[in-house]
Amino acid sequence: MSAMSLLLASLVLSAAGGTLALLTRRTGTVSKSISCIVGATAALLSSAAGIIAMVVPSQSISFAGAFPFAAFSILLDPLSGLLVTVISILAFAAWVYGISYFDDYLQFGIGSIGFFMNMFIASMLLVVIVDNAFWFLVFFEMMSLTSFFLVIVEQDEASIRGGFLYLVMAHIGFIMIMISFFIMASMAGSFDFSAFRDLHLSAPVASLCFILAFLGFGFKAGMMPFHSWLPLAHPAAPSNVSALMSGGMIKIGIFGIVKVAFDLLGASGGQVWWGIVVIAFGAVSSVLGVVYALAEHDVKRLLAYHSVENIGIILIGVGVALVGWALGLPVVAGIGLMAALYHLLNHAMFKGLLFLGAGSLLHSVHSRNMEIMGGLSKVMPVTALCFLIGALAISAIPPLNGFVSEWFTYQALFDAAMGGGVLIKVVAGAAAVALAITGALAVTCFVKAYGVTFSGVPHSEAARNAKEVPGPMRFSMILLAVLCIFLGVGAPVVAPVMQGVASSLLSGSTVAVTSGTALVNVGGTSMVDTSLMALILLATIGFSIGLRALLAKGGTKVCDRAWACGYEPDSSMTMAPSSFAASVKLFFPRLYRMRDQLTAACLRVGSFFFGAIGTARKVEPIGDKYLVDSTISLVDSIGEATRRVEGGDSRVYILYIVAALVFFLVLVALM
Amino acid sequence: MNQIILAIFQALLVLLVAPLFSGIARSIRAKMHSRQGPSIFQDYYDLAKLMTRQDVRSKDSSYINRLMPPVYMGSMLLIAMGIPMLTQACPIPFLGDIVTIIYLLALPRFFFALAGIDTTAPYAGVGSIRELLVGVLIEPALLLPLFVAGLIAGSTNTGAIATALASGTVPPSLALILAGIAFAAACYVELGKLPYDMAEAEQELQEGPLQEYSGPSLAMLKTALSMKQVIMVSLFAGVFLPFGSMATASIGALLLALVVYLLKLLVLFGVCAIIENSVSRVRYRLLSKHTWTIFGIAVMSFAFFLIGL
Repeated sequence: MSAMSLLLASLVLSAAGGTLALLTRRTGTVSKSISCIVGATAALLSSAAGIIAMVVPSQSISFAGAFPFAAFSILLDPLSGLLVTVISILAFAAWVYGISYFDDYLQFGIGSIGFFMNMFIASMLLVVIVDNAFWFLVFFEMMSLTSFFLVIVEQDEASIRGGFLYLVMAHIGFIMIMISFFIMASMAGSFDFSAFRDLHLSAPVASLCFILAFLGFGFKAGMMPFHSWLPLAHPAAPSNVSALMSGGMIKIGIFGIVKVAFDLLGASGGQVWWGIVVIAFGAVSSVLGVVYALAEHDVKRLLAYHSVENIGIILIGVGVALVGWALGLPVVAGIGLMAALYHLLNHAMFKGLLFLGAGSLLHSVHSRNMEIMGGLSKVMPVTALCFLIGALAISAIPPLNGFVSEWFTYQALFDAAMGGGVLIKVVAGAAAVALAITGALAVTCFVKAYGVTFSGVPHSEAARNAKEVPGPMRFSMILLAVLCIFLGVGAPVVAPVMQGVASSLLSGSTVAVTSGTALVNVGGTSMVDTSLMALILLATIGFSIGLRALLAKGGTKVCDRAWACGYEPDSSMTMAPSSFAASVKLFFPRLYRMRDQLTAACLRVGSFFFGAIGTARKVEPIGDKYLVDSTISLVDSIGEATRRVEGGDSRVYILYIVAALVFFLVLVALM
Repeated sequence: MNQIILAIFQALLVLLVAPLFSGIARSIRAKMHSRQGPSIFQDYYDLAKLMTRQDVRSKDSSYINRLMPPVYMGSMLLIAMGIPMLTQACPIPFLGDIVTIIYLLALPRFFFALAGIDTTAPYAGVGSIRELLVGVLIEPALLLPLFVAGLIAGSTNTGAIATALASGTVPPSLALILAGIAFAAACYVELGKLPYDMAEAEQELQEGPLQEYSGPSLAMLKTALSMKQVIMVSLFAGVFLPFGSMATASIGALLLALVVYLLKLLVLFGVCAIIENSVSRVRYRLLSKHTWTIFGIAVMSFAFFLIGL
């Protein structure tokens, strides 16, 4: 069967699964089994479709639509194939996981959960394959709505609040995307993406379309500063849905940015400054995302903030690709886009894995609060090991998958710095530094996340009584953990495929990314080989274990308790999440102050709409209030900013001098 | 084939000389205190004695605790195979990329810190957090100088950078010298010596994550930590001072390179020991001032590179 027919079959199955789930909603267990089994089958079909679509030429098909102005056409090209693969693998894991996990959700109406989840997955698949702006927007909206219902499933105050904020933010983004598409449609005289592709827009119009689409999709992707809904909405959904949202749905934001920039506006050509803007947003998102994640003690909120971080890393890759593309540097563009797409795939796998791990914790300890966990690796060994693999992968530890895509991102930055002018060099250097800080902070954050939950001693009765999760949940986690290892160690196989997807967007220009089993950067004569590295690492660790066993003569002994300098140790003395947060806040106080301001701003937008509902009854000069408030806070913040500039710290002054130096040098070089 | 032998030779060399250099540092310390001090081979005697002791662990600790020392040592052996020490080029080129090296250093750090939490000892946990935050603060200062050197030499491979410097195709510039200074300072922080012995801080934290280790595991961990010091110093020497390293393969050149390498290590460790013993510990919360200053030097080298100085 061709990829297209597999995909259509999968969509039909999803629709059938959703309907059946609704019909059988009276008996929760039946409804759950039907939706999970039908959903998993559909996901298997579509993942096969996606994998095929990545390596074969694009296929398209058109149906007679209900609307004469918008043909319902479908295009399955390598990029949409990648997205279909990502979404389907996650969907498969989520459905299998759900067989056991949804038992905890029976009282919330499993029929509607099954229905909305099927519709959610189907609409995500449709968004990435439709080839018409009108239908794209329809399915994009459907995706937001169905996921909204999944976020508010528990119907408590936190989830409704998070869901509402999510809905508002999704629509702000939606409007921007819509305007961007309408501008292009009015120029092209058609809603068909194929007509958009032939457009030769003038630079200002193309830039307007791009920036609107970038910001609009940025809301969906959860990039800074439009991220605040993410840590509120994702944790509220059932964990396997969070995995789908964090691993899959926010990638549609990235998909949109890539599609608009390289595909739809391809004929108009990109601008260098687009790339620089994207890199800047990416760098800020990556650093701040992980900094804020560190302060969390709710495991799902922590993971949600890490999605912001990883979106930032992907955006850095996209931005470098844009720069390389606009400057006519095919190697930079090829490696940058390939790195971004590879990281997109990787992040889906390890974030999906970690969210499922968080779901297992929730299932066993009945809480998302890491403060009350501890010592769980003894009772939940499989979950612990899978979570450890996910933690190592997301921390970009070689030879796992996160490292491979970050390595390529660094290489793309390096090549851009080699080939570009002074401004590009500065941007690339800054982005590389941001990536380095991000990497080290991610290590910190995941030592914390694993350490305080799985290591140490239980901090509560619930943690003491925890049990390993049932088979289907373990299966899903093991599946994703194996994929994380494969995408890292098997990079010589995967990288050329990702390069193929990237080259399909860059008018077919190819760059060699492998040589034998090594991954190479042809621009900088650099290489790395994760498969051989893994072998050598196993050998050296094995050698060390053998050495210790061989030379040890004293035997081993297990003692009752650790040494606490003569004090009687108890569980309250071991590390808690807040111990980490306190230390990080010590070094980055300003960044945390900024988070509070950002969240407050976002909540203000949310409560504006919340308030608007009530205001229908009582007339209150809300606009005035917010206008006045924002003016006052603007003045306040300028005052605050000037106070900081005059900080009186000698290091700050040195920094200003260096910054001024760099600025003038750039100015001179540009003239 | 020769490259593989050289790589294994480098790994074993680092393993075998690591206790010697920590012994020399101890000896210099004693001399500066006007003490007789132990023999420079004292660390080997200590390790041999630890091997005969019991390996004790607390019942609350998990497999992480047992696994950490071999993972630490295994990572060090792996890194030692990749960096240019005796030769200008990397013995195994795919291990010698600057990004790979910096990220490989995160692997032992991850387990080292995790093991500290795993032991459930309160001081060990505090040491873990410090270890991680030192990593956060120093990583940009490790990366940027190497990035600048890479841009000057045209490759992110440490071997290619070293070859370019040693052969003179890249003349020493102000940017390169500043990058070298910044990288040396960043490596020094990574060594975990005074004034930056944050994680193990003997007086404050009772050895931090090492606290709960004993017997053979402690011996392995101590060796691995000394190996890390040798590797950081070798990395600096190999990339920024590649003079005397072997350019073409021959036994004579190899022997000469070995002597030059050991001399370089001796001088650099001597300098480190003198610094270590003439300062007092930096307050933990002031560490960021030092690391940002180092980063500032790295930024300056980047700026000088941009204007071509």
